[in-house]
Amino acid sequence: MYKIFLCFRYLTRKGIVLFPVLAVWLCVMMLIIVNSIMTGFVNRVRDAGRSLMGDVVIQSDSMAGFPYYRQIQKQLALLPQIKASTPVISGYGLFNLPEFQVNTGVQVMGVKADSESKVSSFGSSLFWQYKAPMQAVQDLRGVGFPASRKKLLAYAQKRLLSAAKEEHARQQAFADLKPISSHAWFASIRRHWQVISHEDYQQAVYKENRADRDLRMVQALPNRSFANAAALRKALVPRAPTFAPPPQAANRYMTASDEPKSGCVIGVDIGLYKRDRFGHYHRPPGVRFSPVIITMVPVTIKATLAQPQSRRFVIVDDSRTRVYAVDSKTVYIPFHVAQKMAFMQQQDLLDGGVRPGRCSEIQVLVRHDSSEVNILAARKAIAHVVHQLELLHPQMEIAGIRVRTWDQVQAEYIRAVDNERNMITFLLGLMSLVVVIVIFLIFYMLVRDKTRDIGIIKAIGGSEEGLGVIFILYGMLISSAGAILGLFTGVWFVRNDNWIHDHILWRIFGISIWNRKIYVFSKIPDQVDPHAVMWIVIFAILAGLLGALIPAIIAARQDPVEALRYE
Amino acid sequence: MNNVQPNTGSSAPKPLLELIKINKTFRLGPADVRVLTGAGLTVYEGEFVALVGASGSGKSTLLHIAGALESADEGSVMFQGQDLGRMSRRSRHRLRNHSFGFVFQLYHLLPELSVLENVLLPAMVCAPWYKACIRARPGKRRALELLEQLGLKDRLRHRPSQLSGGERQRVAIARALINEPALVLADEPTGNLDPKTGQTILDVLRGLHKGSGQSILLVTHDVNIAAQADRVVTLRDGKIVDSTPSVT
Repeated sequence: MYKIFLCFRYLTRKGIVLFPVLAVWLCVMMLIIVNSIMTGFVNRVRDAGRSLMGDVVIQSDSMAGFPYYRQIQKQLALLPQIKASTPVISGYGLFNLPEFQVNTGVQVMGVKADSESKVSSFGSSLFWQYKAPMQAVQDLRGVGFPASRKKLLAYAQKRLLSAAKEEHARQQAFADLKPISSHAWFASIRRHWQVISHEDYQQAVYKENRADRDLRMVQALPNRSFANAAALRKALVPRAPTFAPPPQAANRYMTASDEPKSGCVIGVDIGLYKRDRFGHYHRPPGVRFSPVIITMVPVTIKATLAQPQSRRFVIVDDSRTRVYAVDSKTVYIPFHVAQKMAFMQQQDLLDGGVRPGRCSEIQVLVRHDSSEVNILAARKAIAHVVHQLELLHPQMEIAGIRVRTWDQVQAEYIRAVDNERNMITFLLGLMSLVVVIVIFLIFYMLVRDKTRDIGIIKAIGGSEEGLGVIFILYGMLISSAGAILGLFTGVWFVRNDNWIHDHILWRIFGISIWNRKIYVFSKIPDQVDPHAVMWIVIFAILAGLLGALIPAIIAARQDPVEALRYE
Repeated sequence: MNNVQPNTGSSAPKPLLELIKINKTFRLGPADVRVLTGAGLTVYEGEFVALVGASGSGKSTLLHIAGALESADEGSVMFQGQDLGRMSRRSRHRLRNHSFGFVFQLYHLLPELSVLENVLLPAMVCAPWYKACIRARPGKRRALELLEQLGLKDRLRHRPSQLSGGERQRVAIARALINEPALVLADEPTGNLDPKTGQTILDVLRGLHKGSGQSILLVTHDVNIAAQADRVVTLRDGKIVDSTPSVT
């Protein structure tokens, strides 16, 4: 009993104990913040990678792709664990937007917009077209509402309905807008190659992408409130994205031959939009529906370059995957167009035979929950299907088809980031040994300071074990107090890191440590890993124990008579 | 000569503490210093014994050995018929807590604790952990009685640093008595006090002895103080050379 009593007395009446508490506090807070941001980063990279390619990817080693993808898809459709699959053409090309003087090398992805949206997050990554429901909810979460579903829903309803009212007012304002005259239209083409359309006005109004997302969601919603989150999600069902250029785009061209037949989707970071330091994109009016020329360099099945293929497209949307490397280098065009441009379409041969159409990869979505076990099982089944078809069609074998899960495809990158996180946490943990030393030194001083007390306690019957327990308990209380403070402040900091960065560091002090132009993500990614936090707290308490251990042993072994004589 | 029976007026008093042929040597640097050489002493129940001797004669060492704070190199210490040398560490701790009450020259109070808490501390040592709550603290009533008896009732919440030397020593005496020990071991309790305050402290000890028959072994180098004990034992060069009933 006297052990607990003396512990609390020393704790409350010794000012010096504030220093180890402070050391443990800062250390725990620092470790939690670093670990959470790194974990958030790794998971965001993971999620981004997965959302780009589905659960399982069938890829070819050859740049010329692999044939019989339709047969593979048909067989996959028979597998119970497969929900959807979509073929993709991937190739390199040039992107030329004359109106905005943008000329750059890009990765051209030929996708089927509807099926691609089922397998990957392609649909929800589009700006102008509808977002996937969960993405919309997550976006709301991302704007500073990490609250419960109930609060989130209330916020969503309020925000969406207020946006609906604003939109209604705007629609009224634009209702009187007259169609542009033919004279003005020709003049406009001569001057800027662009027409100020009704939609362009609307685009100009919504420069801030968040407001626009809300608008898009509102447009999809009936004007009513929702009973629960599921009802909200149900109402937010996305419309299948399309590459079709809108009818008014056709009016821009002098002759029908100039008219682009296909739309394209550009990566949001391809260089057309201004992006402020908070990650918001400012889209100049007129970018949408602008004509672009995309040139692809096809690779033959004999791995030689063929004649480059150029086509005119019209920008129908932009895509934001939140992965800078993708958004800055990727242009999406319709699958069948890409197939032709890459010389991968079905071809009739001179000998009367048919060369089957090819694709670069097939992305597959697994049914049920996308747990690792499920995905691995699905991968095995898919690999079996592919192998069976390879036996039937030797051409497939030549293509060197590989079936990998999303995790395996990006394993190297993820592993690197993962290792980085572990290394940083380890290094910081190593630095945190300073805490052990601080506690040791302070406790050593304390034991020296309390030498006479130790003698007194022994004289009145205190045992060696009892004295050891006093100092160990003391160390544990100090480290626990620091760890708990560190836990709460660390989690609070992580929860509010973007707010602290934007409103305190940037707005008050003008300091920006998270440059969105350098890092992939527009917001500081963070995710508190409860397991990691638990270990950090345990480690901190153990560090306190370790620091107090030697002084406690010294105290326990102190000779009472010598201790009483100590001055 | 060492075991002169006290003239307490009662018949055949029982020996409380027996120190038999105690030898103790300290190593000071390269040299061994023999402090006690076959020292023997018996303290009977209800006796007030003063141990006198010059500085460095081994008085405090003998007291520490008697109080199980230190062990002898040779010889045995018997307390209430039990050999301290054969006791387990745990039993010795319990003995120090229950049966001995120490009063030191420099008071040795814990500076972080109040007067009441200092007095209660020995009672807390033997109490179970779940009685840590201040209201349920064991021995609180006795502590209050003792402090009232010693004139410290209005000083309960004071810290030792806020007390005078005499008051501190009275707190130390109250602490020594909280567990109702069989023997109070006082090591120069007046050594750090002025003669008047020293006499007050001595009066307190004598009052305890006379009032409740408390056995006391008091170490002092002051013969005037020693003279107020029942018996005076003289230690010279590590040996008990004289043990005579006090003339007062």
